[in-house]
Amino acid sequence: MKHKILILSALIIITAGLLFNACKESFLENNPIGPITSEVLANRNGVNGVLIGAYSLLDGLGGNVTEGFTRGISNWQYGEVASDNAHKGSTYSDQIEINPIENYSVLPTNGYMSGKWNCLYAGAQAANEVLRVLSKAEGEFSEEEANEIKAEAIFIRSVFLFEAAKMWRYVPYIDENVTVANDNFYVPNDQDILPLIEADLKWAVEHLNPVQGAIGRVNSWGAKALLGRVYLFELKFAEAKAILTDVIDNGVNSIGVKYDLVNFSDNFNPVKQNNAETVFAVQMSVNDGASGYNGNAADALNFPQGGPGGGCCGFFQPSFDLVNAYKTDPVTGLPLIDTYSDSDITSDQNVAPEQPFTPYTGTLDPRLDWTVGRRGIPLLDFGTNPGSWVRSKPDAGPFIAMKNLYWKVDEETMTETYSSWRPHGATSNNYNMIRFADVLLMAAEAEVEAGSLDKAQEYVNRVRARAANPGGFVRTYKDPANPTGGFTDTPAANYFIKLYPAGYFAARAKEGARELVRFERRLELALEGHRFFDLQRWDKLQPGYMSNALNTYIDRELESFDYQILEGASFTINKNEIYPIPQSEIDNSEYNGVVTLKQNANY
Amino acid sequence: MEKEQLSDYPAKTGWQKFVRIMKLTTFLIFVLTVNVSASLYSQNSKISVKIENGSLNEIFSLIEEQSEYRFFYQNEQIRDIGKKTVEVTDRNIQDLVADLLDNTGLSFRLVDRNIIIFPKDNQSSTAVTQQPRQITGQVTDQSGSPLPGVTVVLKGTTRGTITDSEGNYAIPNVAPDAVLVFSFVGMKPQEIPVSGKPAIYVTMAEEAIGVNEVVVVGYGTQAKKDIIGSVSVIDVDQIKSIPVTSGEQALQGQAAGVNVITSGVPGAESKVFIRGISSFGNTQPLVIVDGIQGSLADVNPNDIESVQVLKDAGAASIYGVRGSNGVIVVTTKKGKTGAPVFTYDGYFGMQAPPSGNVFNTMNTSEYASMAMDLHPGTLFANGIPDYLYGGYRNGVFVNGTAKEGDPAVDPALYKFDPNDPYADYLIQKVNKEGTDWFHEIFKDAPMHSHSFSASMGTEKANYAFSMNYQDQKGTLIESRLKRYSIRLNSGFNIGEHVRIGENLNVIYKENPNVSNQDQNSAIAMTYRSMPLIPVYDIMGNFGGTFASPPDLGFSNNPVAVMKNTNRNKSEHTNINGSIFMEIDFLRYFTARTRFGGAIGNSYYLNFSYNAYYDREAHYGDNSLREENSRYKSWTWTNTLEFENQFGKHHVKLLGGSEAISGQGRTLGGSAAGFLLTTPEYLTLSNGTKNIVNWSHGDKDNLYSLFARLDYAFDDQYLFGATVRRDGSSRFGADNRYGVFPSFSAGWRISKAAFLSQVEWIDDLKLRGSWGKLGSQNNVGLYNAYTLFNSAFSRSYYDINGDHNIVQGFYASSIGNTKTGWEEDIITNAGFDLSVLNSKFTLSAEWYKKSINGLLFPRPLPSTAGGASAPTVNIGDIQNTGVDFTANYRSGDFGKFRFNVGLNLTTYKNEVIDIPNPGYFYSGGTSIGAAVRNEEGHPISAFYGYQVEGLFRDAADMSDHAAQNGAAPGRFKYKDVVKDDKIDEADRTFIGDPNPDFTYGINLNASYDNFDLSVIFYGSQGNDIFNYTKYFTDFWDSPAGNKGRSLLNAWSEQNPGAKVPVAEAASSFSTSGVVNSYYVENGSFLKCKNLTVGYRFKPALLNRIGLDKMRLYVQVANLFTLTKYSGLDPELTPNQSGDQASAAFGIDYANYPTNQKSYLIGLNITF
Repeated sequence: MKHKILILSALIIITAGLLFNACKESFLENNPIGPITSEVLANRNGVNGVLIGAYSLLDGLGGNVTEGFTRGISNWQYGEVASDNAHKGSTYSDQIEINPIENYSVLPTNGYMSGKWNCLYAGAQAANEVLRVLSKAEGEFSEEEANEIKAEAIFIRSVFLFEAAKMWRYVPYIDENVTVANDNFYVPNDQDILPLIEADLKWAVEHLNPVQGAIGRVNSWGAKALLGRVYLFELKFAEAKAILTDVIDNGVNSIGVKYDLVNFSDNFNPVKQNNAETVFAVQMSVNDGASGYNGNAADALNFPQGGPGGGCCGFFQPSFDLVNAYKTDPVTGLPLIDTYSDSDITSDQNVAPEQPFTPYTGTLDPRLDWTVGRRGIPLLDFGTNPGSWVRSKPDAGPFIAMKNLYWKVDEETMTETYSSWRPHGATSNNYNMIRFADVLLMAAEAEVEAGSLDKAQEYVNRVRARAANPGGFVRTYKDPANPTGGFTDTPAANYFIKLYPAGYFAARAKEGARELVRFERRLELALEGHRFFDLQRWDKLQPGYMSNALNTYIDRELESFDYQILEGASFTINKNEIYPIPQSEIDNSEYNGVVTLKQNANY
Repeated sequence: MEKEQLSDYPAKTGWQKFVRIMKLTTFLIFVLTVNVSASLYSQNSKISVKIENGSLNEIFSLIEEQSEYRFFYQNEQIRDIGKKTVEVTDRNIQDLVADLLDNTGLSFRLVDRNIIIFPKDNQSSTAVTQQPRQITGQVTDQSGSPLPGVTVVLKGTTRGTITDSEGNYAIPNVAPDAVLVFSFVGMKPQEIPVSGKPAIYVTMAEEAIGVNEVVVVGYGTQAKKDIIGSVSVIDVDQIKSIPVTSGEQALQGQAAGVNVITSGVPGAESKVFIRGISSFGNTQPLVIVDGIQGSLADVNPNDIESVQVLKDAGAASIYGVRGSNGVIVVTTKKGKTGAPVFTYDGYFGMQAPPSGNVFNTMNTSEYASMAMDLHPGTLFANGIPDYLYGGYRNGVFVNGTAKEGDPAVDPALYKFDPNDPYADYLIQKVNKEGTDWFHEIFKDAPMHSHSFSASMGTEKANYAFSMNYQDQKGTLIESRLKRYSIRLNSGFNIGEHVRIGENLNVIYKENPNVSNQDQNSAIAMTYRSMPLIPVYDIMGNFGGTFASPPDLGFSNNPVAVMKNTNRNKSEHTNINGSIFMEIDFLRYFTARTRFGGAIGNSYYLNFSYNAYYDREAHYGDNSLREENSRYKSWTWTNTLEFENQFGKHHVKLLGGSEAISGQGRTLGGSAAGFLLTTPEYLTLSNGTKNIVNWSHGDKDNLYSLFARLDYAFDDQYLFGATVRRDGSSRFGADNRYGVFPSFSAGWRISKAAFLSQVEWIDDLKLRGSWGKLGSQNNVGLYNAYTLFNSAFSRSYYDINGDHNIVQGFYASSIGNTKTGWEEDIITNAGFDLSVLNSKFTLSAEWYKKSINGLLFPRPLPSTAGGASAPTVNIGDIQNTGVDFTANYRSGDFGKFRFNVGLNLTTYKNEVIDIPNPGYFYSGGTSIGAAVRNEEGHPISAFYGYQVEGLFRDAADMSDHAAQNGAAPGRFKYKDVVKDDKIDEADRTFIGDPNPDFTYGINLNASYDNFDLSVIFYGSQGNDIFNYTKYFTDFWDSPAGNKGRSLLNAWSEQNPGAKVPVAEAASSFSTSGVVNSYYVENGSFLKCKNLTVGYRFKPALLNRIGLDKMRLYVQVANLFTLTKYSGLDPELTPNQSGDQASAAFGIDYANYPTNQKSYLIGLNITF
């Protein structure tokens, strides 16, 4: 009997087991642990969080993208190394995929192409995500509030799409309706999307607040400045002139400070950024729990080898051509636009660190030594450049890029170890996407095309006047053994810079004035990621301009030193003005047997 | 049906001679099924026999084949009885036998299914049946030696005894119809009916695999003879003879269709492929340990009772979604009926790394002379320097070379500050002989293992307890495995119809991770580090590249890399087990329930010292990372089984349900900037910088219903069907359930009338199966959901510009609710043959495995956004091949016996369909992807330029298609598309890492008390992409040491060379791209194991109280025959996740598995 009861009760258990869950569907419902769905985010905090997430991608990293070397917002490879301003740096075989970018032999299969493309479209979709979540947050916002958020998102999307258009010209335009769920993401690159970006930015300008209260949040003036730049790329000079004039005359930054020029070097000093010159800056932060990924991670290797910035890894070295461009006329104090490259300024290219060296004694634009580190000159407060802070001079020359550095005294607070292996590789040095000097020089270009050469000269001179302020010169250390101990009043080099005398531009007519503005732009904005795209823009106005400039540069640079990457290099007209569409994207764009994306000409 | 006579049977009484003992494994089946089926053999069973002029012997055989009845008789007694013609239909068995024995002077008695035949004139039989008496006898082994310690019990009771030192036993008061059960560890148990005999002498045979063996298959057992699915039964004794650290390694070469690729890293998971690679991701088979999903690596090999590998749909479909990659079913030991048995198994051994100049690298002077020719620079400007130095002097970084006496290398200048790289000034003395980097990190290493077990059983209860301690140091310094495990299995019978029991296994292991198959690992650095660099600098800190001129290359000091892992920990605790209950009821039914659970905990600690000895810089910060993950899971399985015999129809029907639930959670943190590096100080709280923490969790549920039907007609026609319906939480509601059916059929031809008289055929069976299996391995847990995530580094932003970040969210994954099951359709056909009293067995099978709806991350263009793409069902991979197994077991040649086993498996792999553009690259290297997975080609096929030779001269170049970087002595690539230029379009398939076939050969022999076992394992026709050549065979690859092959590089004086010209600059035509220069023949044959053992004589052992003792010596990896130039042709893949199987056969610098080891071991039973 005992056994029978046992058997019976056991059978009941087993039967229950057999039937277990048969009607319990929730056993198979698996609510994710950690991640959340868009429904959870469809409210005020959620929408704002998704918007912050979109901003966080501006630096080139974020979301699922965790490696930034190929895709940073600074465009150091695409905008500078590929131009006449800089070399890859380090050694020939280090990050060898950059070599073909520098010598105009880049292939569609190059990983840097797909890296950049992925980042830009991930960013554009991150901005679209804001619009999509916003559309689900019914009743959470007033129409005005909703439009403001929408305008910020559209601005961010425009930044990414505009970058893509600069890199590849004809690229897919994607708005918030392009999703996997809608199955419409095979978007062709069959049109010039600049007009669409222009329209988006116009809408953003109308709906953005003029003052945001947060310096990192774009305001209507920032959007106007970007719209001005888009107009220049479209060669719509009249529209550009109008909107940029408005920005110059009336613009304030996102915290309400009227735009103005500040001390030149403050723009590249993490503790003095976010000032009156800030039109739109991508904010970098460190020591924030992100292992350096929020701090200029794409430039983590771009520090002098064995010197400041954690002593690694020697990428991004200025060219001789750029350094020579800062020579000034010893009489007029003006740039030597036609003759600057007749000879090289003295360098330690062939001088060992232990051998004596005297820096160039000729007259120079003071902006050189805030832009390029060279032997014998104080490098911020890191000490007098000893000539041993480059990885390999035979590989990439003797110069150091400076605008991405920080000051030694701020090392603990303004830098962080990047990804646990690059001490001081991450910095909180913002990327100035648009600063006021840039606005002035863009406006100057527009004025030249409008024929108002005096106005153009006025803008250029405003920029030069700031550079000419002796208070902004690099000066010698009070005690070279203690570089953080302050500076003397003695300029570190023979700086001599003057404004253009009245009527100078007009005397050289439109064509001459154009070159003057362009040259000033190079000096002011060198190594800030613009140069290649400026050349591209000018080439659009004057076809052949870019190939002429860069092929001349290749020949000239090889005279300065035996630079392996540029040996045999040549810029191909009607090809190298833009980059090849990444092959992987073309491969992935095949849908129902049709390849949606078309490769750029001659690639 | 094997009939075996007791040859040395003492003629004590007359009538016992009548008994003829059948092969006792049959009894085993009988015992296992008797509870259910005893009542089936009604004495009124009807039988049909038709035979002309058959001897009584033949007639009895025929009856045995057609029924479950067994005859016991002695040949002499029936030899003289004339032949008879019998033709009866549906005759009562008793009547039939009575007719047959009419006028023969013989009579019979029916006990259960046993028909015992005895002479009529021996009246004692009836007399004896009336009264109990003492039974005596002796038990011997096959060599005739007495077996002490054998348990003898009366079946169905707890009464019994144990044989004494001479193998004798005596049991009083035994009923004449009782059955004696003889059992002994490692021997086949025997059951012998007393049948009134006063003395029973028994010869016990070692357990061997025979057609009558019962094997564990999905959710039940099956007689091996009835199996029609593809099941490989592993020879467990063979496994135990190899002292391996994981059960997976032991499977290598043991079963056709089971390929195991192991790594030399102690404790590393092996890659097991059953019938080829059928996915780009995870292809590991499902492992079921005692009914619950488990890990073969965590089972003590000494605990294993049996291992079966279910390969086809017929066998594995019952596991549905988890069965796609095959199923390995492991059963652990239970206590056997009898007295307590204690065993000790232990070994001690030394492992030896390969000797000599393993990568054939240059010494210092060879390197220096080549460097001076090709790259005149500071390093050898004045010949081989005496010193190298580097660091800061007066705030200026300097580095260079120096001769003895140079003030720059004054030891007083030496300075090393781990926390301030700007203070360092390091000096190292050049090693002019050359540092043998490989043997600086690979040393002889000991390993030992100790297992103790205790087990016993009675009719009512049994238990088996074991403990194991294993300690293996790797030959690579700082690599090691330590494992402690305890297992307890027990079972209880409550009454006659209820059985309950449990299995419990507790494991703790320490097994730090080792970087393997990585061009930046310490192993790779042994050929990348220049020989002139010393291991230690002048002050005993590590030597390296940083403190010296740039020409020292990009390597890391391998000794430093390994020694700096000395703080690392990787500790795992796992407790798993199950409780179960079985109930027999309503005569034909058995219900079973099993509830299993596992609790696991893994702890990792990783401390990175700030490296000052490598190329990049003296990193400022050391860092600590600590992570703890715990998981828990449970499985509840309930089944109901029905079994019955209706005439000739045998039906077994099983239905069941299973719920599996798993949850895990990980907590971790990291910090940098530790002032001290002592282990006690290394807690996260002491970090000063980069403080990060994280946690994440997961959850995974599965609910399934399944059923199986086994049907046999006349024991000749076999049919099986299974179906399983799985519901998984990994799929969206639209596609949550998958149904996986299978059908199999078999024909035991040996039972057919036309073969029944062919005596030399024991068994011949044709079989075939078709079915579907599933896989959800390669789909994320939350694939159905579109999700947002949040992380400081990914979505937070300093929107206020005040260095305080604000939380943001990012779209992390795109969901797809339509994604469903990956279906694996397997067709299988084969035969099993056993001839000459099972001396020779042969099995061959053809199979085709086709993946339908391969789970693959949908390749999305970037315009879809940065969120990760959902896994969808696209793609098809197909494998076809043949598994072949043959075994020969010799008879006895005096004291000598041997057996030989061969297994071989072929497979042809083809990627049938993958998403646009129909290929993808994998197997990344510094010169591009080595692998292109493309439709119409095998998985992981190597892809690049085909080298036709080296350019001889300008004329040779101008005759050839235009090639970038063409120059004499550089590679001449094949113009595949014949357009007179060499470009990306000319890349082609240059190699295939999939073998044509792999094989295992097992030899076992014994002579007297000696035994010998040899295992070979081989792979034929596989190519290897030897990526190590990128560093050794090209001067222009990253600077570092080079191979001696470059001494024979092409030059105008050496135009016949195969190695391209040594030069400073890299080019498309030398080291710049993936080409066929790297591809080598990777075929190999390894002698995995050679063991010689000696069994001590029982007489000797009894004096010291032991029952059995065996001492053995073993050499593992005695030799490897291969043409491959690298360390070891057996290469584990280096990728993971959904690309885990997308690229393999690439040598990125492999921890060799073929290192010799020498062991001495001991097995004791007492």
